Parts: sequence; C-alpha cells; structure tokens
Amino acid sequence: MKLHTKTNLYTFIATLLLFSFGIFIVYHFILSRLDKEVDKQLLIIKSNVIKGLDKGIDPHLMFPNRSYNFSIKQIPTQTIFKNHFTRSSKKKTNVLDIDDEIPQRSLLFQTTSKNKSYEVTISVSLDERSKIGNDITTVVIIFILISIFVLFLINRFISSFIWSPFYDTLSKIKTWNIKKNEHLMFKQTDIDEFHLLNDTIKDLTQQIQVDYQHLKEFTENMSHEAQTPLSIISSKLELLMQETNYNEKQHKLLGQTYHATKRLYKLNEGLILLTRIENKQFAEINSINLASAIEEKIEVLEDFIEAKKINIIRHINSSSIKDVNPVLLTILLNNLFINAIKYNLDKEGFIKIILDEDCFSIENTSPQEKIDRQMLFNRFNKNSISGSLGLGLSLIKKIVDFYNWQITYSYKEGIHKFKIYM
Amino acid sequence: MKIFVIEDEKSLREDIVEYLSVNNYKCDVAASTQIAIQKLKDNIYDCALIDIGLPDGSGIEIIEYIKNHNPKMGVIMITAKNALEDKLESLKIGADDYLTKPFHLSELNARIYSLMRRRNFGGKNALSFDGLEIDTGEKKVIANGNILQLTKKEYDILVYLASNPTHLITKEALAENIWGDKADIATSFDFVYSQIKNLKKKLNEADLKNYIKVVYGLGYKFME
Repeated sequence: MKLHTKTNLYTFIATLLLFSFGIFIVYHFILSRLDKEVDKQLLIIKSNVIKGLDKGIDPHLMFPNRSYNFSIKQIPTQTIFKNHFTRSSKKKTNVLDIDDEIPQRSLLFQTTSKNKSYEVTISVSLDERSKIGNDITTVVIIFILISIFVLFLINRFISSFIWSPFYDTLSKIKTWNIKKNEHLMFKQTDIDEFHLLNDTIKDLTQQIQVDYQHLKEFTENMSHEAQTPLSIISSKLELLMQETNYNEKQHKLLGQTYHATKRLYKLNEGLILLTRIENKQFAEINSINLASAIEEKIEVLEDFIEAKKINIIRHINSSSIKDVNPVLLTILLNNLFINAIKYNLDKEGFIKIILDEDCFSIENTSPQEKIDRQMLFNRFNKNSISGSLGLGLSLIKKIVDFYNWQITYSYKEGIHKFKIYM
Repeated sequence: MKIFVIEDEKSLREDIVEYLSVNNYKCDVAASTQIAIQKLKDNIYDCALIDIGLPDGSGIEIIEYIKNHNPKMGVIMITAKNALEDKLESLKIGADDYLTKPFHLSELNARIYSLMRRRNFGGKNALSFDGLEIDTGEKKVIANGNILQLTKKEYDILVYLASNPTHLITKEALAENIWGDKADIATSFDFVYSQIKNLKKKLNEADLKNYIKVVYGLGYKFME
C-alpha cells in the first residue's frame, strides 16, 4: 500500500468517525431545540387552560384547532405539581395503508380550580418538526460526504505533489549501480526532511563508491602485482628442480610447492580475467558461428573426453551466428565444457549439448550433488571433490551478464544442466 | 648461439640466463629499452627475448628497431597479459613467437630451440641422438633407421622433451605445452603420464636406450 493511500485511508476513517459523532450531536441538538419550542407552546396552552378553568369555560371549546390532542379528567386530589413532558408516538394509518409512527410530545399536569382537581394531557404532533430535523440532518450528511470526498481528492493531489521528490529519490536509488561510477542527482525539494534524506543518501553512496573503488583497485593491483613474484617463484622452483642430488622426500616437497604455486597463479589469472571483463576490456566483437565454436571446443578437449569415456550427445539445431568477443566466448565454452568433463562420472557418463537459435544448454552426468543455488556463481565456492577453487562458474556468470544473457541451472537425477539464453 | 635477454625483473632475467646457459647459449642482458637499443647497435645476436612491459617504453620499440636493422634476428616476445589480442598484436608487430608470464623455462627453451631451427635450417633440421632422429620438418621419428609410429601427442611430447635435453620438465609444463590453458583439468596429468608410458614403451620396443627418465613427483627428463 502506498504511503499516501494509507494516510488517506486513516484520515478517511478518522473523519468518518468524527463526522458521525458530529451528526449525532447535531441531530440531537436540533431535536432538543425543537422540543424546547414545542414545550414553550405547551406551557402557553397550559396557562390558557388554567385561565379557562378559572373562568369556568369548557376547556374543550378552547381548542378548535385539531393539531392538539387534549384530554382532561377530574381527579379527587392533586398529587402532581410539576409539569411532565413526555415523548411518545402515536400509531396512525396513512393513505397508503402503511402504519406510520407519528412522534408526539405531551404535557401532563394536574391543576386545581374552584376546589376541583383536574389532570390534563396536551399532545402535539411532532410530525412536521421531526421532518425538519430529518431534512437538516440529511443535508448535513450530504454536505459532510461531499466534503470528505473533496478532502480525499485534495489530499491525494497534495500527497502526490509533496511526495514526488521522495519517489524520485527512491527510483534513482533503485537504479543506482555501484559499478557505474555515477553521482546521484536528486530533484530539488523545499521539504527539510526530504532534503536531509537526499543529502544523506548522496553522502552515503559517495562513500560507498569510494570504498568500492578502493577495494576494486586493491584487488586489481594485488592480482597484477602478484603476477611477477609468482613468476619468479615458479621459475626459481624450476631451476631448483634441475639440481640432481635430491632424495625422494625433497622431490616430493619440491613437487608439491611447485604445484601449489601453479594453482595460485591460475587463480590469480582468473581474478585478473574477472576484473578485465568487469572493466569492459573485451569490447572487440566478431561474428562467430556457435556450432563450429562448440565443435572446435570438443575437438580440443577430445583427450579428456576419451580418457573418461564420456559420450557426447549433440543436438545442434541452429547455425546461429553471434556477435561476441572471441576471447570471452572461448573462456565461456572452456569453463562450461571443462566443468562438464571434470565433474563427470569416471565411466559411462555423457555430455549433452543442445544448441537452438537463441539458447544453448549443456548437461552432464556427475556423482556430485546439486549445487546450492545461492552459492552457484559465487567466487571461491570450494568444490568438495576436486578441491579446486571455483572461479569457473563465476567467470561464466560474468560473461553471461556482460552480454545481458540469462543463465539457469537445474539438477535432476544426477544430471546437472546449464542453460544459456542469448 | 647468442641470446639477448631484455627483461627488467632482475630475478627473472637471471633465471632465464641460468637456464639457457646449460644449453651452451651465450646470453647478454638488458633491463631497459634504452640499454637494449644501445647494445643492439654494437652487437649481433641470434635471438632476442623481449619483455613488453619495460619501465621506459614498451618493448615494441625494440622489436621495430630489430626489424629495421637486423631482420634475421629471431624475436620472442614476453608479456604479462594473457589474451588472444595481445598475441595477434605481437605477431603483427613482427615477433616470431609469443610467451605469457609466467612461462616454464623449459617452454621458453623449446620455443628458442624451435625458432632457431626454423631460422637457421629452414625448418628442415633434425634433432639427432644416439639411434634416434627427430625430423621436425617432416614430423618424423626415426629409430635405428626405422620410422617410429607415434601419435601426434606422443610426438609433441618427445619433441618438447628432446628440445630440453638433460633439463627436468615438470608435468605441468608438459601438460601446458600440449593443451595450453586447458591444462588445469584434473585428468591432464594422468593423461601425460599414460602418454609418456606409451612413448617409453615404443622407444624401448625400437631397441633405443632409455631416453626418458621419470623423476618421481616432479616430471621427466630427456637423457642424451
């Protein structure tokens, strides 16, 4: 739910409650006012009745107007000295034969005149008056409803107007990419809070960017600087190996050191490659026939495929030509195929390749379990069997991202499948 | 044979010189473009190894100088980068061969060996040992007068080993020589091992002496 929708909703509920309460008060206020008017009239009638009784006039004759109901009866002694106002309703059948309740107000009083006590009830129909009350209330309700609606519209308009810098900021942060070295520019606003928010975000993103750049430079420099010492170590080791008077243990130690150095170098090479892709250093593009690139790759890796007796199943349904960087394509295919071979079964495994117009998939049998989706394309996702540090998948992902392709991974009954949508 | 090593990294320069000196190559060294060009004016070399990332300008200048003044000299370029475009670039400039850091010293040696053969004998030279002759032009191996049937991989391994006689060749270097970047694949060492085994068997069956010696845990050696 949007912020101003929510605000509006609460305002709407509050207004409704407040106005209902207001209508209730107004309604009763009007009614009591009307009652008081009626009561005044009733009291005037009362004094006329008393006057008439004192003069010996039959009270019935005093009221030719039938808008009053009048009853009088003689009682032995006067017991009530106060006026009793009551509200009641009289049943009346109207023209349409519908029972209607007609509200009426009555005054009951007792009086003594010429040693005779009387109890008098005067009733006045409130029909007209309650109609007026109802009309007023209806008008008020309509007015209030219109007000609420208009308020709602105004609120909406103001909200969207006031919050627009906020939404602008939000959309800009959303599309902000740390890798693009861009500074955020926000809409000018005269609202202090938004101004503060924008300034804070600006400072924050700038700080993050600076840190990111430093970290990136550090990694880059680190891997570049590491190259030379690594070369030196490996050539020194090679020279050391040329000596002949070693025992078996020394041979083993030398071999292991050398092997570890090579691994470290490969790793470093992978990191440099990742950085170079990130820095868009593979801009050159050639038109490459994917089908033949795949065939070529299979041929190069033939020895390893044969060594594990892996069956290659091809479904090449397309001779599609893609505009890609040849180096990146080579790295991509290399990593996909090497993974498919390396982690395949030692015997009777297969690799299935499907190439369609805009889609390439490679699946392979493997004793390995499903790769954790979250770890899938992470750097240094250590593989339990080979013990190699997995830069391969990370490189694949980087290249796929570089060309805005999509890659999916699925696993089913011992078969791992990577699918690239191009 | 005189080799000119132009490399600014002192340690690496010394290693190259030391490794190459075993093959009776005479080495001269330079650590910068300026010194290199100065030395090229006064001396004649058979082959130059040029590191492209020198402190005072790229090694490309030196290659151009050599191509203009002494085109007979072989040029092997060394770079720290490792992508295809560098390779194409370097060959365009006029280098005869190309190596990326870190390279195996044995690989460098084999490249020089092959370059020198191509340059001096028009590629028709043969590596000759006692009872064993490797014709690198025809890609033929003759053992005691008979042609020895080898697979392409076995032939490549034999040439590589024979180009580095008495040097220890690590299995990593061999694997990389055969498959390049793909060499890190787990099975490659086993593959090298089985290829060597077959090769040894074939040499043995041809009544040759045991040329290939296995150095436990490290690699192989071609004994003259």
